[in-house]
Amino acid sequence: MRGLTLVMLSLSLFLATACKATHPKGLEARVMQTAKRRLIGNKGQKNPLPATPQTIADGKEAFSHFCIACHGLDGQNTGVPFADRMSPAVPSLASPEVQEFTDGQLKQIIDYGIWPSGMPGSKGMLSEEEIWSIVSFMRHLPPAGSLGEPEMYSH
Amino acid sequence: MMLKSFSTVALIFAALAPSVLLRLSAAANPAPRRVEVVAKRYCFNPSTVNLKKGEPVILVLKSTDVSHGVRIRELNVDVKAPKGGQAEVEFTPQVSGDFVGHCSVFCGAGHGSMTLTFHVSG
Repeated sequence: MRGLTLVMLSLSLFLATACKATHPKGLEARVMQTAKRRLIGNKGQKNPLPATPQTIADGKEAFSHFCIACHGLDGQNTGVPFADRMSPAVPSLASPEVQEFTDGQLKQIIDYGIWPSGMPGSKGMLSEEEIWSIVSFMRHLPPAGSLGEPEMYSH
Repeated sequence: MMLKSFSTVALIFAALAPSVLLRLSAAANPAPRRVEVVAKRYCFNPSTVNLKKGEPVILVLKSTDVSHGVRIRELNVDVKAPKGGQAEVEFTPQVSGDFVGHCSVFCGAGHGSMTLTFHVSG
């Protein structure tokens, strides 16, 4: 009986520790980033849309449908109150860790999300054209803070 | 006498010419065909519309729920119907082929699969 209690206590402590949301740092962050780079497929697919001002504007519009809730209007989390509190934290889309993905990988991430982060898949929710235009927008993000914050956080 | 009858004929011709020209012009430029498409989450009805190259069309987009839209750049079509309302756009297809437009106003989880196809023949 005493042994069972000890096991239950240890298990509870383990679960409580494991469930605590903390920012991945140092080695953990590097391992995760390397894993993402290698595991996320579709590396070779090219963006079929030309990177014209029109495409980028379309991407900005499509991005505003719901991506802004976590990534902000500028893709750099401006005004998103919980961006740092997620585990892992919501990355700035202008950061090297995001920009080093190929266009095909970014499309893959938008299509299917990244498990177990909070990034959901948008395939079917957005059209192929909208998703590719978002990839173009991500390659031409405006300066951080230049678009203000999402209306949902400021009304 | 000869001059007088010539003047009368010229006068009649001048009076009739505008209406004759108008009729000829109308025959050359027929009234645009109205095509009604109903949009609702997450489909267009009909989902395929047959058009003829060079034939002017008025696309009437009616929404029965939230806002929806259609944009097909190749055909110069860009129209947005407000929630429960309608909007129209006039265009003349100049190229033949199949053109697929997507809903241009985000309308929910199935927005990405909401398509309207224009089949332009000729």
